[in-house]
Amino acid sequence: MARVQLENVSKHYDDVTAVNDMNLDIRHGEFICLVGPSGCGKSTTMEMVAGLTKPSEGTVRIGERDVTNLPPKDRGISMVFQNIALFPHMDVYENISFGLRLRDYEKEEIDRRVDDAAEVVELGGMLDRMPDEMSGGQRQRVAIARAIVRDPDVFLMDEPLANLDAKLRVHMRTQLQRLHRELDTTIIYVTHNQAEAMTMSDRIAVLDTGELQQIAPPLVCYNEPANLFVATFIGSPSMNTIPGSVTDTGFSSAYGDVHVEFDPTAVGVTPGQEVTLGVRPEDVYSSDLRDEVAHSTQAVSTRSDVLEPMGDEIFVYLVTEDVDLGGSMEEGSDPGEILMSVGPDSDITEGQDVDVVLDRSKLHLFDENGDAIAHGLVETPGAGAAGEAEAEGDD
Amino acid sequence: MSDGSTRSDGGVQSDRHEPELTRGPFQRWVQKSIKDPKRVYRAMFYVATLFFLVTTLFPFYFLLVLAVTPDTGSLAVLPQLSTLEFGVFLDVFDRINFLRYMLNSVVLALSTTAIVLFLASLAGYVFGRLEFPGRQPLMLLILAISYFPPAAFFVPLYQLFTGNVVNGLSLYNTPGAMILPFSSLFMPLSIFILTTFYGQIPDGLEDAARVEGTTRLGALFRVIVPLSAPGVATAGVLTFIAVYNEFFFSQLMNNGQPENWAPIVGGLLSLQRAGQFEVTYGVMAAGSIIAVIPVAILVVVAQEKIVSGLTSGALKE
Amino acid sequence: MSTEHRTGDAPESGDRGLYASVVSWMENLSETQYAYLLLTPAFLLLGAIAFWPLLSTFRLSMFADSFGQASVGNFIGLGNYVAIITGERSALLPSPFLPEALTTRAFFNSALAVTVIFTVISVFFETIIGFVQALVLDQEFRGRRWVRVAIILPWAIPIVVQGMIFYLMFQPNIGFLVGTSDNPAFLNQLGLLSTTPLANAQDATMIAIVADVWKTTAFMALLILAGMQSIDRGLYDVAKVAGASAWQRFKYVTFPIILPTVMVAMLFRTIQAMRVYGLIETVSGCTTVPSLSCLVVTTFNNRMLGSSATIAFITAAIIAVAVSVYIVGYVRGGQ
Repeated sequence: MARVQLENVSKHYDDVTAVNDMNLDIRHGEFICLVGPSGCGKSTTMEMVAGLTKPSEGTVRIGERDVTNLPPKDRGISMVFQNIALFPHMDVYENISFGLRLRDYEKEEIDRRVDDAAEVVELGGMLDRMPDEMSGGQRQRVAIARAIVRDPDVFLMDEPLANLDAKLRVHMRTQLQRLHRELDTTIIYVTHNQAEAMTMSDRIAVLDTGELQQIAPPLVCYNEPANLFVATFIGSPSMNTIPGSVTDTGFSSAYGDVHVEFDPTAVGVTPGQEVTLGVRPEDVYSSDLRDEVAHSTQAVSTRSDVLEPMGDEIFVYLVTEDVDLGGSMEEGSDPGEILMSVGPDSDITEGQDVDVVLDRSKLHLFDENGDAIAHGLVETPGAGAAGEAEAEGDD
Repeated sequence: MSDGSTRSDGGVQSDRHEPELTRGPFQRWVQKSIKDPKRVYRAMFYVATLFFLVTTLFPFYFLLVLAVTPDTGSLAVLPQLSTLEFGVFLDVFDRINFLRYMLNSVVLALSTTAIVLFLASLAGYVFGRLEFPGRQPLMLLILAISYFPPAAFFVPLYQLFTGNVVNGLSLYNTPGAMILPFSSLFMPLSIFILTTFYGQIPDGLEDAARVEGTTRLGALFRVIVPLSAPGVATAGVLTFIAVYNEFFFSQLMNNGQPENWAPIVGGLLSLQRAGQFEVTYGVMAAGSIIAVIPVAILVVVAQEKIVSGLTSGALKE
Repeated sequence: MSTEHRTGDAPESGDRGLYASVVSWMENLSETQYAYLLLTPAFLLLGAIAFWPLLSTFRLSMFADSFGQASVGNFIGLGNYVAIITGERSALLPSPFLPEALTTRAFFNSALAVTVIFTVISVFFETIIGFVQALVLDQEFRGRRWVRVAIILPWAIPIVVQGMIFYLMFQPNIGFLVGTSDNPAFLNQLGLLSTTPLANAQDATMIAIVADVWKTTAFMALLILAGMQSIDRGLYDVAKVAGASAWQRFKYVTFPIILPTVMVAMLFRTIQAMRVYGLIETVSGCTTVPSLSCLVVTTFNNRMLGSSATIAFITAAIIAVAVSVYIVGYVRGGQ
């Protein structure tokens, strides 16, 4: 009933394309997160579902009904906004019942529904408060009650937790998941916070520069990112990306001596091709531990640069080669740098030589356009000669 | 005052550098003031405040005294209470239909205010919240109206309202002949005030209202206008005062008779004209006082709105 | 949560066919179309009651005055403008546009001169006094609210009452400020006022100026006050720490920051003062003090429509010149 479909939807403003040829098919009852950096088009996409923005091209369907030209009020949706957007001149009861009153419901019906909704979000007894007398969390719950009271087909949430403090945010996250289970409604949730997306959603739609990069369950996005953008956006800290090229026997990095042996034809690449190797920090191991890794690469010699102890783990920034660090103040990882996460009891210190290995089953290979070629590079070619790899390392 | 004791007789206290021993109270004050300039500022402040109170209120006091002094020849700044006659305030209503003039003024002001608030709400919403090509030029066009003297509109409007442009359309001596020019000439200020206020309402609230089930226009009147109530009140008060105080069209768009919707301008001018043949200064003064009462009440009640409206509207332009 | 009703089937208030289609048409307009739709009513009114009269006045100003049956004479292009600005038309006008001689008397009889005199003097005093009033109102003191009411009150009263007050104050018969030649009052003795001030162009102009200053200084004061109160109070602390005296704080912090506001306020007052009509009409009548707006009305009453329209437009043009002087000053000051 409340399937949401976007078919070839685009939105152009004067000189920018906010959303380009978006296709989404959201199943009934699904909790889907639209995630991406600011300006990626996720909010525009949601506004087009809500009817607050009209697509330049394409069709929006809600529950098999073409709603492209319907105003928001006729779409059977409700929405929770980032800035909460409670009407400051109305008390909690009036805020929650606003939509029902507009639709001329009976007074008893309105009262019953408002009470029910207030109960769900634990706001009983606060119906006569004004929004400015409430805390941020309470206001957010009023906004959610206002959204659920109309029993919509689709729930739209535009960064609803962004303005809450960190502790409350985590609490509300579980509340929302519970709510989703109770209501059995389709929820479309916009966030720039990949942790929210990972923890709450059935599927994640990753957007960048107005285009859909990948739509898949969270773990699929994590383990099998469709491209470099998804790979680096999902997961915190971000995946290491190591530029390099394909050799006859596998991969060789442009900086440092990272080598991975595989059969290029089996993977589907040709020697000489420019590629990027991706590896998550938790898949980088100190070479002392190479026996614990089922498929490890040969050791890469690095030097530890900066340590970030997080309590339960330590992030170690490793330098594979002394690349000029002058321009590295800008965001994004340095091409010669690898981030490794180690256990809290590790004895690595800053400025120490460290040899590391990578878990081959967790390696990702991306082509020059950033599209994924392979996830896991386990099959070893016949004979991997160390000397050969060293010779390549001088490139 | 400790300074008094420093009038040392024989250098008991010589830590204060006092050039002379003999000083009157004024010199003492000056002396202290030089040491502490704040006292001068304070004194200047009180003098200035008193001065402004006297100058702004004196003309009203003068009107009152003139009104209640039966024989204008014996007008005195401090009249003797026993000689005063307050019956003159009733004379105003006996002599001419002053009540009707007042009523006309209030009706004209209220209708104009209603029209202006409605139209300026739509326009203020558009200028304050929508992005569209032509926004800036259109705002300048509206602003340009306020640069023209009423006289520049007068001749064509007079001809229009006397039925010389469109046959059969004769608004002269009707409320329309005044409400229409008032509305269009006072609307720009309200548009600018409301543009400011409406523009400050967060976008999310309008979106929320639409998602909850209002139309675009519904969101304006159910959410944006109520939320901007102070701004709407400000625009309303200023429009009301402006119309109530207007002179040009109030005088020229009717023949001055109360039954032809002439506002208080007509009433007071007819009292003034009558004064050329018999001495009616007291009645004129009394009429003026009565005419001021509605706006005086409005000023006392709504002074904050007036202040904020004048400043936000004017400085925005 | 109740799930009996789905929103789609919620009791919509009936199928009002026409209403529904109008609503859906409006909802589907683009932002630009919607903007223009909502502006339509306001611009229809402005078009009919403001823009059309302006254009029509302009057109009228190109036709000669008619003294016969027709309302206007022949098309003469800019002939009226030339005739009025050069003073050639002066003899026919109820009052001359330009001064006809270099005497004080002639200046006060000329519409242009008297308007400029009125504007310059009244705006000058309003600015000075308004500034001081703003300084007073900027203080915290008990009863500030009532002082403010007292200062605003003159601004809020009808022009006709303002005119009436000063008409009565300077009535010779009332004998309050104006005496007779046998029994001169204080101002007469000083030689500031004749014994029939309201019939004397120079005296009546001065009275109108006093009346204007009395009424509209509050406007100036409120704008300047708003400028003062928008100053970040932290700047004063910085100045105090730097050792500035109260006067220096005013000179180096307050004054430069509010100068643009003062300019805007002066601009507004200048525009208003240039179109003075009602005050003069009530105090002394338009024949004694022929301001430009007065001249528009008196020429109209003499059925000289072309001249009347031309003077109206010349007035607007003079205001435009004044506005541009301020804008140039404003831009210069901003650099």
